[in-house]
Amino acid sequence: MFNDLIYAVRLLLNNPRFSALTIFVMTTGLALCIFMFTFINGTLTAPLPIENGERMRKITTLVDGTAYDGSTLRLHEYEDILKVQQSFEVLEVMGNRSANLNTGDKVLRYSATTVTPKFFELSQGRAQLGRLIGQDDLTQGSPNVVVLTHSLWQELFASDKEIIGKKVRINSEPHTVIGVTQPEYRFPNVASMYLPLRATTNGVAREDSPYVSVYGLLKPGVSDEVALNEVQTLFKQFAADYPKLNSNVQGYLWTLQEEAMGNGTKPIILAMQISVALILLLACINVGNLLLSRAVERNKETAIRTALGAPRGKLIAQLLWESGLICVISGVFAILIAGLALDLAMHTLLSDLPIPAPFWWQAHLSGTTILFTAVVTLITIILTGALPAWRTTSGDINAILRDGTRGAQSKATGRLSKIIVIAEVALSCILITLSGAMVNSVSQMNSADYGMDIDRYLTARVGLPGNRYETPEQRIEYYNKLVAKLEQDPNVTSVAMSQSLPSTWASYFNIAFEGVDYGKEPVYPSSNVIVVSENFFDTMNINLLQGRKFTSSDRADTQAVAVVTQDFVDNYYQGQDPIGKRFKQTEGDEKWLTIVGVINNVTFGQPFEFNLRKTDAFILYRQQPKRFMNLAIESKLDPNLLRETLDSAMVSVDRDVPAYNVMTLEKGVIQRIGGINFVSKIFLVFAIASMVLAFSGIYGVMANAIAQKTQEVGVRRALGADDVSIRRHFIVAAFKQLAFGLILGVPLGVVVVGLLEKAGMAKGSLEVYLGVPSLIAVVILVAVLLPVSRSLKIEPAYALRYE
Amino acid sequence: MKSLITLTNLKKVFATDEVETHALSDINLEINQGEYISISGPSGCGKSTLLSILGLLDTASSGGYELNGHQVAGINTKQRAQIRNKEIGFIFQSFNLISELNVFENVELPLTYRKDLSKKERTELIKSALEKVDMGHRAKHFPAQLSGGQQQRVAVARAIVGNPSIILADEPTGNLDSKNAELVMALLDKLHSDGATICMVTHDPRGAKRADRIVEIFDGRIVDDTQKQENVA
Repeated sequence: MFNDLIYAVRLLLNNPRFSALTIFVMTTGLALCIFMFTFINGTLTAPLPIENGERMRKITTLVDGTAYDGSTLRLHEYEDILKVQQSFEVLEVMGNRSANLNTGDKVLRYSATTVTPKFFELSQGRAQLGRLIGQDDLTQGSPNVVVLTHSLWQELFASDKEIIGKKVRINSEPHTVIGVTQPEYRFPNVASMYLPLRATTNGVAREDSPYVSVYGLLKPGVSDEVALNEVQTLFKQFAADYPKLNSNVQGYLWTLQEEAMGNGTKPIILAMQISVALILLLACINVGNLLLSRAVERNKETAIRTALGAPRGKLIAQLLWESGLICVISGVFAILIAGLALDLAMHTLLSDLPIPAPFWWQAHLSGTTILFTAVVTLITIILTGALPAWRTTSGDINAILRDGTRGAQSKATGRLSKIIVIAEVALSCILITLSGAMVNSVSQMNSADYGMDIDRYLTARVGLPGNRYETPEQRIEYYNKLVAKLEQDPNVTSVAMSQSLPSTWASYFNIAFEGVDYGKEPVYPSSNVIVVSENFFDTMNINLLQGRKFTSSDRADTQAVAVVTQDFVDNYYQGQDPIGKRFKQTEGDEKWLTIVGVINNVTFGQPFEFNLRKTDAFILYRQQPKRFMNLAIESKLDPNLLRETLDSAMVSVDRDVPAYNVMTLEKGVIQRIGGINFVSKIFLVFAIASMVLAFSGIYGVMANAIAQKTQEVGVRRALGADDVSIRRHFIVAAFKQLAFGLILGVPLGVVVVGLLEKAGMAKGSLEVYLGVPSLIAVVILVAVLLPVSRSLKIEPAYALRYE
Repeated sequence: MKSLITLTNLKKVFATDEVETHALSDINLEINQGEYISISGPSGCGKSTLLSILGLLDTASSGGYELNGHQVAGINTKQRAQIRNKEIGFIFQSFNLISELNVFENVELPLTYRKDLSKKERTELIKSALEKVDMGHRAKHFPAQLSGGQQQRVAVARAIVGNPSIILADEPTGNLDSKNAELVMALLDKLHSDGATICMVTHDPRGAKRADRIVEIFDGRIVDDTQKQENVA
């Protein structure tokens, strides 16, 4: 065995170019595979690093069949589920609040999580200082208390060990700091502090129910299918009992990892896994083929060894040593490269994300990675070594000893080469189509038309504390003052307000149209409904297509009006004049809204297909003033220069109300598709890797196959074929293989892209579907013409004797 | 008899690194139409090189080569290909059939490079050639399914299918057992008696004796050129 190993080492050292090429190809395949496994394992598939983490689920909803990250349930729904459910051992809730924290010299806005003591038990939260929220803290009227996260305690309070018992002002009310969490505890990832959850359903109408996130532990042995089925059944009942609120809402279950990765995660991960598997397969085929060509060159040596009595097993083992060495060396390089790439990728991803990363995201090399690498390497050794070993040891020894590599071997080897080329073409086609569609999709998202301008605005979110801005009049007065103050800056062209901004979610409501009978079991249509200021359309450069925009004559005490998009009209008023028609939201304020104008289509949320499909209706702020609004401040100059203007305006109007998420609209848009950009970068790497592997592989296989036909070229020339005929013959033969490969590869590529398109994560196009086969055709052409030209340079007399 | 090939002061020199090897020196040879000539000599004497130059598979370093009254020494590769296709038929020691083509397609191969034949004419020529070598019944078989003797008979059919001016055979029995070798040699005899011009390289004295004329080469030079007695008479 040792001799075989030494022999394999000598073979590799004797041909350093061959060795470097095979190791490079295999390292590329393995590195991508290890990277992807570790990344997916570290962020998605590994159990949460807390006790029973593998059983933790979030109950969420699908609205019109689409899952939204951050989706919440009504507290009423949670209580109804709690009463009857059988699948969960524990089911707990948490709420989200905006917390304006007054530090004495400034007010900062944070995300606060409202929780019960049991929530900390479920999520295994511990206090480093003081205590966590207790049962007594939940009682209405009990003193206001707050638990700080470790990071907030460090950043804002300089790790003050005497913090416990101190007072801080949150939303203008004093709160006593009762605890600081352990450093590693960050559940959910956006929380900066924890407040008692004092929400109740007592005396609260279902439509006014507070929204909560519901987390639970599946009972041991209960599968996701069983739990999902139970949740879906309950939501079907909700839809039957409360159609106005739940007609288009289905129950759904998410793991925390799926929720963190966001909507459309599964198809993306599946696409990544498919891509990586295909890349590794491609690498194995390439290396296998290179080893095969070398094994064919050594046919005579193998035949001599066989003639001298070498058992077949020993010959196979010797060939496997060679592939083993290549794969093991590649595995070592791959794990190092993957480790570096993971660090870089996590850094890129975390800096691209608009919110802190979840606490379980730990994508770095680990024991699991090394075990995975060992298993995959073993598989690649078998895959790459098996083919040459089988081919070489199953030849006709007599024919080889008599005729060299010619004769009985050539037809089988030729057929194998054809199969390899077809496989390479098919795999390459799928991979490059998939990668191309992903890159295409992200490119389109990056240049998406939101239906409004995004390039000269400073945006900020403002949340008015409920206790001080309870009435619509108070809210209107605040925003009027704020806008007036901002417009005093001569560089400010206009200030508009909107509940949502391009690339942020808009509220999606069930709506009902006047004169339509929705029956006893109504299923209502849905639309984005966005509250905006009167000047929103002008400020954002949105075009009026029909009717009028909002005007100063639209007041709280006049007819409730709405402006809708062209899509809204196309969907719900086909062929009719929409002006003067009425619709209403089926929950909350059920006033009839009269359509007064139609504007061009706009997009809220990430520019995925399912968001582009949504219709939009706009309501005037004066008629439905909300506490939380976004400001869009248009500037003549760089909008970043307006930050000071904004700060001073906020302080002068109400120093306890801070602006947050302050950034240019353009940056906000880019940041909110950061995750997609990250995925795109990965797919770009896949695309490059697959192109390098595919093209080098196709070239290698074709060139090798043609080189083996040098003698055939000699025969054909001896029989009178001229150079053109020879070239034509090989091109036709190669294009037949290309056609077979494309017949397999193109439809499969289209299917895989189609799956991702449904999730809005890929965009197939004619350019991609035609461009990829054309590109492969060019590679095939080059791969044929170069070696054929080399063969043609050899005089036929020598080509005939070519071995 | 009309002269078919005339070689005048033909030389072939191989230059490898600093060594010059004279494979052929001052070859003067005339082959007439209908002649059956055998070129023999020890291994490495230059007989196969001579055959390659005769078949326009290789070029001479110097000297003249006239085929059918035309000087072909300096013609381009396209013209060489055309001449090989129409004027020359090859039979190789190792048969050189294309393993991926069946018997019919292998025989058809030289005709596929011609534009002056209809498919029907091509089929008739192939069938006729295969009948001549008694391989018509194996037309759909692939080379790997045939014995060595059968493969060589197919190679002979391929050589004659285009009615070439001359058949060049390079050790045609070198890879065959005595029984199959005899069959192939009988086939060449038959072709010759039907009027074919044959030039055969062999180092088998028994095979050489079947030719009308034996040319002996040693160290790249023609050292003997003998007509068979009965023919001379």
